[in-house]
Amino acid sequence: MTLTARRYVVVVLVAAAAWLVVAAAALTIGPVNIFGVGGAVQRQMLDGRIGEVVTASLVGAALAVSGAAFQALLRNPLADPYILGVSGGASLGVILGTLVLPPAWLYLRLPLGGTVSLPGVCGFLMALAVIAVVYLIAQRRGRLDPYRLILTGVVASAFFSAAIMLAVALAGDRLRNELIFWLMGGLGSPRDQRGELAVAAVVVMAGLAVFVWQARGFNLLAFGEDVAASLGLDVQRHRRTAFVVASLLAGISVSLAGPIGFVGLIVPHLVRMAFGSDHRLLVPLSVFGGAVFLTVAHRLVLLVPYEVGGGLPVGIVTAMCGVPFFVLLLVCGRGIRGGVL
Amino acid sequence: MTTTPAGPMLRVDRVSFSYGPGRFELHDVSLEVARGELVGLLGPNGSGKSTLIKLVMRLLEGGSGRIVVDGRDALRQRRREYARQVAYLPQESRAAFAFTAMEAVLMGRSPHMGALGFETEDDRARARSALDCVDAGRFADTMLDELSGGERQRVMLARALVQESPLLVLDEPASFLDIRHQYELYELLRRLAHEQGKACLCVGHDVNVAAALCDRLVLLKEGRVEVAGGPREVVTAESIRRVYGIEAEVWTGSAGQPVVQPVVRPAGAMASPGSASSSDGERPI
Repeated sequence: MTLTARRYVVVVLVAAAAWLVVAAAALTIGPVNIFGVGGAVQRQMLDGRIGEVVTASLVGAALAVSGAAFQALLRNPLADPYILGVSGGASLGVILGTLVLPPAWLYLRLPLGGTVSLPGVCGFLMALAVIAVVYLIAQRRGRLDPYRLILTGVVASAFFSAAIMLAVALAGDRLRNELIFWLMGGLGSPRDQRGELAVAAVVVMAGLAVFVWQARGFNLLAFGEDVAASLGLDVQRHRRTAFVVASLLAGISVSLAGPIGFVGLIVPHLVRMAFGSDHRLLVPLSVFGGAVFLTVAHRLVLLVPYEVGGGLPVGIVTAMCGVPFFVLLLVCGRGIRGGVL
Repeated sequence: MTTTPAGPMLRVDRVSFSYGPGRFELHDVSLEVARGELVGLLGPNGSGKSTLIKLVMRLLEGGSGRIVVDGRDALRQRRREYARQVAYLPQESRAAFAFTAMEAVLMGRSPHMGALGFETEDDRARARSALDCVDAGRFADTMLDELSGGERQRVMLARALVQESPLLVLDEPASFLDIRHQYELYELLRRLAHEQGKACLCVGHDVNVAAALCDRLVLLKEGRVEVAGGPREVVTAESIRRVYGIEAEVWTGSAGQPVVQPVVRPAGAMASPGSASSSDGERPI
């Protein structure tokens, strides 16, 4: 079915409404019945849950749309936000920040209220540095080639996972447990995150706006750069922008919540299966799909009683749901077609 | 920069291009394509056909000389503007994701739309008639990867048509097609040129198909134009020997078109007259 303005508006509004419903329902779900407590406790609990739901939504949206963009940019349905090593860099930044900064400095109180996690800031700065380095290595006379990007990214990822292992190995016993847990993708610790959530929200929204703008370019690029250029697209500018924005989104979500796997790979595929490959729909639907997916996964984790492994990192759930689903995609062969497989 | 409707649609004026010092890919190539004309660009592998097409499409940068489309310098136009002048059909189009034929054809409307625009009912009608024009109307809702190579290539041609550009540039569009679909594609191009007045420049690899259906032929050899003109002037035993380095008989077909048949010799006697490398090995140094 081809896309009309009407269909676009209806589908996107329905997706937004679905996310709102899920987010509201998520506030009532947790280890403790929020209606069973009263007064200040309820207020405090609600604040905490709003923080969690907003974090999950932002991170899920950023990862899913970043994955969709990387898949289009690299013309590779197996691409995900972590493919170019940006997340490895961000993870290393967070870990080094945690190891090096004195405990009293871990959270920076903002003048407007809320705190920012300084290791998170280190992670984001590291992500910026990795974006610059990967770009410099992958470009040739200002031209970005998808194959060189993937090769560079694979090498960068390998380097960072070695560096992360080294850092974790050298950390003290107590810290090592914490770091390993964080590396599983934990969605952050409950605390007053309003400051960093606001910053992240601005970055994520700006990124989304860019991708909405670039969506038709992604459609054209699916037919190769020559065809895209012949249809009027400035391919190199489009690629550079998409690469930087998708990497920024990956970097900020890792800095915020740790490396949560599979959201960025699977959500775009689910959307494609349901609504086709037109990126004008894929981009906004990945945003809401990612937000819903991670919010639900996170609530499921919170429902696990503490005695049987409560407080599990949400990354375990997304991967556990993700792998069988991906196998199903491969076996049924509907979701991935015309690509590398 | 004045528009001269009487002038050629495409003028390639003394274009040279090199991938590096001493590696000339194109040398002083000039050619013209008029409105309503189907011009075939032929030559052996590595003769610079694709390089020339890529320069015309602005997919390669650099080189010297001028490429003028409808009286305007190609490099002086914005890409989107240029996409309304020139449409392009590559050898093969594979999409990284699953699109329907209709979706793919509608992408041809991109140069006519704003970044955030949606296709209108008018665009859809144009897309449908382009699909009908290439006899692919029944595939509108079919996924591209469910089509055969020939069907997909026709859909891609519809995408190029819906761009509604006066110039159509094709890079070996028939190389993966069987003989019937090759002829059908060329016949369609010929009709588009003669009936709709499009200017078509088409790189071909089959001399006989091109000679039968093109209005004019340009033969490239080692980056230079070796011969150019009507099929009967261009396709001779002599020019085939010079350009391709093989002996061939050239007959006249029933429609008056030249037909090339390479002379088959017993094994071992196939040394090509033009190729220096094969004789070098035998010469005592």
